[in-house]
Amino acid sequence: MFKNSWPLAMLAAGFAASTTLAHAHEIVGNRFFPATLAIDDPGVNDELALPTISVSKTGDDPSFKQLDVSAEFSKRITEDFAVSFAPTWSRLYAPGGPVMNGARGFQNLETTFKYRLFKNAEHEFIMSVGLEIEWGGSGAQDVGAESFTVYTPTIYFGKGFGDLPSSMDWARPFAITGQVGYAIPGVSQTSVASIDPDTGEQDIDTEFHPRVLNWGATLQYSMPYLKSAVVDLGLPDIVNRLIPIVEASMQTPVSNTATSGTVTTGTINPGVIYVGNTYQFAVEAMIPVNRQSGTSVGVIGQLHFFLDDIFPTSIGRPIFGNGIASGRPIFGR
Amino acid sequence: MRTIILVFSVLLAAVPGSAFAHAMLDHAEPRVGSTVSPAPKEMVLWFTQQLEPAFSSIEVRNEQGATVTAGNAAVVGDRTQLRVRLKALLPGTYKVIWRVLSVDTHRTEGNFTFHVRQ
Repeated sequence: MFKNSWPLAMLAAGFAASTTLAHAHEIVGNRFFPATLAIDDPGVNDELALPTISVSKTGDDPSFKQLDVSAEFSKRITEDFAVSFAPTWSRLYAPGGPVMNGARGFQNLETTFKYRLFKNAEHEFIMSVGLEIEWGGSGAQDVGAESFTVYTPTIYFGKGFGDLPSSMDWARPFAITGQVGYAIPGVSQTSVASIDPDTGEQDIDTEFHPRVLNWGATLQYSMPYLKSAVVDLGLPDIVNRLIPIVEASMQTPVSNTATSGTVTTGTINPGVIYVGNTYQFAVEAMIPVNRQSGTSVGVIGQLHFFLDDIFPTSIGRPIFGNGIASGRPIFGR
Repeated sequence: MRTIILVFSVLLAAVPGSAFAHAMLDHAEPRVGSTVSPAPKEMVLWFTQQLEPAFSSIEVRNEQGATVTAGNAAVVGDRTQLRVRLKALLPGTYKVIWRVLSVDTHRTEGNFTFHVRQ
């Protein structure tokens, strides 16, 4: 049974890794969009997420515990264009792994190119586009790293509700962000030949690699925004630095689904982000949306450094561009 | 789990101080969103970082959109305060618009309102 589900496990592990890595933060007018954990946010910046640690129980049959430890380094090339690199190390506990005794190793390296397309301070709106590439063969197949490269063009957006009328002041600290990506495997199928031990005949197992819609969103309530732009209630500083958040990250196979099926998998992540001046710390629960997404609630935590604030005159600034650190996208302001 | 907590703790301890970062509004006087009486004679904003005076400003507007500041804003104190004098304010709602440049060249901006009652 497990042998049959192993390709699915690898598929799930691969897409899970690809959707829990990239992060950024962004300031748009009054609004600070924090780096988020389950999906990427629309920000383009110099930053380092180190480490991101998650523990969950997979949706395989039988289910097993998986530990992921990842990092991400994002570097602006210009004010609006950045490249990020994100390695992830995974440990699959028994009965995970190809022979059910566990496995450990790196997932495929992920690289993301992201461009900030639009930014409007008045309406606290931002939109970016990107291309995420998971480099096939750069990780260990035992932990689910595929031998082929996956390309995921993605759209990211963020919208703060600070432009609501004053009669709805209570809602102005809310913001949403979201992303929609389309993961395109570099090869559509792989086949493995084996000898049937009973008949001695050759079997060929073919696995089809689906194209997957990676979609997700966050809903966040910014206490820093409440204090600095709506009403200063005189709350303790630690409370004024919190952003309660709910994230949703989903994966839906949409084509070439003969062996993968079309069931949407993902997690809903309620949590909280603490925002410091040069870093943020976040912790979230990971609640699977169905049996195929996991068998119990997991947890994810991340420490994230704002390199543009820590090293504003060296590695925290764009390689090309002027020295004033303010986004100047091609549209909007 | 202990190892994870230890890793996070060590990394947090290694984070440099806040000498360089975006200048965000820490608090204001009159307070953000507050209702005050009598009318304030000046507006003072405290930021999380030091400011560049030449590129930092405050605008205060009444409900008709007219500016009610008297003179330009000045960076004072330890360079984290931005202060501007106000004309005599009538009861009503006022919008404060600030734009600052921190000493590490990060530009930020924001706005909020306060109210003056009879």
